Amino acid sequence: MAKAKKNKSSRKVDLANRMPLKLNPGRLDPETSDEAINVLIVGVGGQGVIMVSKVLAQICQNLGLQVKQSEVHGMAKRGGVVFSHVRFGKTVWSPTIPMGKADVLIALEWAEGLRWMNYLRPATGIFITDTKRIVPPFACRSRILGADIGYSKNTPDDVIGKVAEAFAIDATDMAAKAGNELAANTLLLGALSTTLTFSNEVWREVIAQMVPPKTIEVNLKVFDQGQKWIEGSRKGEPVEGSAFVPLVQPEEYPMRTTLSITEEWCKGCDICIKMCPERCLTLNKDQVVELADPEKCTGCHICEWLCPDFAISLNPALNPPSNPKVQEAVA
Amino acid sequence: MNKHVIPQAEEPLKQNNHQDNHLENIRDFEIQDYLRLDLFPHFMCPGCGHGIALRALLWAIHIQGIDKNKLAIVSGIGCSGRVGTYIDANTYHTTHGRPLAFATGLKMARPDLHVVVITGDGDCLAIGGNHLIHAARRNLDITCIMLNNEIYGMTGGQVSPTTPHDRFTTTTPAGNIEPVFDASRLAEAAGAGFVGREVTIHVPRLRDLISEGLDYKGFSFIEVMSDCTEINGRKNDLGSSSEMVLGQTRNMRPNEYDNNVVDHPFRPNSLNTGVFVKSDRPEYGASYRDMVDGIQKKQKGH
Ligand SMILES: Cc1ncc(C[n+]2csc(CCOP(=O)(O)OP(=O)(O)O)c2C)c(N)n1
Ligand code: SF4
Ligand code: SF4
Ligand code: SF4
Ligand SMILES: [Mg+2]
Repeated sequence: MAKAKKNKSSRKVDLANRMPLKLNPGRLDPETSDEAINVLIVGVGGQGVIMVSKVLAQICQNLGLQVKQSEVHGMAKRGGVVFSHVRFGKTVWSPTIPMGKADVLIALEWAEGLRWMNYLRPATGIFITDTKRIVPPFACRSRILGADIGYSKNTPDDVIGKVAEAFAIDATDMAAKAGNELAANTLLLGALSTTLTFSNEVWREVIAQMVPPKTIEVNLKVFDQGQKWIEGSRKGEPVEGSAFVPLVQPEEYPMRTTLSITEEWCKGCDICIKMCPERCLTLNKDQVVELADPEKCTGCHICEWLCPDFAISLNPALNPPSNPKVQEAVA
Repeated sequence: MNKHVIPQAEEPLKQNNHQDNHLENIRDFEIQDYLRLDLFPHFMCPGCGHGIALRALLWAIHIQGIDKNKLAIVSGIGCSGRVGTYIDANTYHTTHGRPLAFATGLKMARPDLHVVVITGDGDCLAIGGNHLIHAARRNLDITCIMLNNEIYGMTGGQVSPTTPHDRFTTTTPAGNIEPVFDASRLAEAAGAGFVGREVTIHVPRLRDLISEGLDYKGFSFIEVMSDCTEINGRKNDLGSSSEMVLGQTRNMRPNEYDNNVVDHPFRPNSLNTGVFVKSDRPEYGASYRDMVDGIQKKQKGH
């Protein structure tokens, strides 16, 4: 790695002279191919995906390279997917990266990274991801307390072997510790810098131009951290910030409330049955309400509150989940 | 004259303890604690909105931390009036249209009690309309819960002052042509210190509105939009109980009002809900006691 670094600084002049790019030894080398270098940046809204791609594009422009960038953004408010394609080199035609052709994939969110992994070149693609997990609201459609979350259960170990090289960094946490959580994207830029031949000066200059003036210091600090992280981990040194705590996934759906029905009071008006969001109540043959599907009941109280006859009461007496992890989470 | 004793509030009404344990009170409410269980099941028809309103009222009373022994429920005649019967507190089932008059006397005599009136649209606006405007004008510390189901439910479905245009009732077999009262605006115009409206489907919101009304020192008028499922609903094809209660959120039966040109100034939006008025008008009981204090002091001075 130390060698690679030396190479990089010596190549600064070459780049300025529009010489072909050279990645770290053993990695993709555009000198032997006329194809542009493809960097795909993905995340969810509000993380700075576009900023990462702008820094990269600006560097390329400063160095007189051709660069094309195209993005999908604007879903930030709904937490939607945001991605940006950056292609640069001697000649760039199309602005978008075809599937399986990205040289580097930068993910600012864990599951988004996994989602786009098939865009990486199978044999040589480098995957750099924040382990930050932003679970979207629709990942859990069930309202049952402790219900299974439809969010990636993969760990970094699952990724190894599926791409040429993968780095899972707890960038958000590291940036937060450095003073600004929002600088996580710059930390990943630091990581990205180790895969490209641009000199540190070029990176630092452009980052300083792009970030809000008050945050220049912290951004440059985390940029260094990102670089060191990758270098360290390539050398097999123990690196800070790689902790990956798996999501607590309950093994069962714990019911925490019990629903009791005073049958003598029910007049079969049907209100609770139609208003129950989970549709778990029904009228029996005597036109009296019955909890037909106790598994589905979330204890939301709607039936209790809307019953004009006070025939339903939800007993908040806890029926504690058996999974100790869930118990802990609930507590 | 000197022997005439005016009862004094024993101590300032302790109403605000709810602020410390408000959330706890919301959670630990058990409706059974406030009901006369021996009278259950209650008499109301399947799906009747009055039952839902009763829950909201009892819940609000619980949140306010009102002692049942210091609670007086005064109700009139009608299905709405019958609701009071089921409350395990001091209940006073009075004559048709007059609960506010009885409540006024009670509150004047026993300012230490929390006086809550439960009345209906017929009870409060038709036969008792006069009592409503004067209770509102005086601003005596009473909470008046008017269960508005837009019909005389108990007597089989006659037209009421809030029956919308074109509705069929036993007294309007060809559809109603009378303009309606907007009860909340009527109470406001008459001077009620606190006015609010809510629908029964939003139980927590209704609970909080009533709770705020109970907390208010002065006349609080709370209009609860309730469903008479069996009489009004059936006669007018308003759907099943669940459809009626759901319909409350669909902008409160707008079509009925759209056709009624006369109604428009009264109900520009078919239904708006929330707190409409919360003023700091003087409370009648306090003014009255101040006056009496002054007179008694003067007399002692002589
Ligand atoms: C002096 C007098 N007149 C008429 C009646 C008959 N009556 C009983 S209840 C009622 C109407 C009640 O309507 P409302 O107040 O809307 O209550 P609801 O039943 O709709 O809740 C009438 C007219 C009566 N009991 N006493
Ligand atoms: S509490 Fe009642 S309304 Fe809510 S899910 Fe359970 S049965 Fe359905
Ligand atoms: S709302 Fe109450 S009375 Fe109506 S069907 Fe359900 S339990 Fe029975
Ligand atoms: S007649 Fe109407 S208001 Fe009276 S109990 Fe039946 S549904 Fe309720
Ligand atoms: Mg009525």
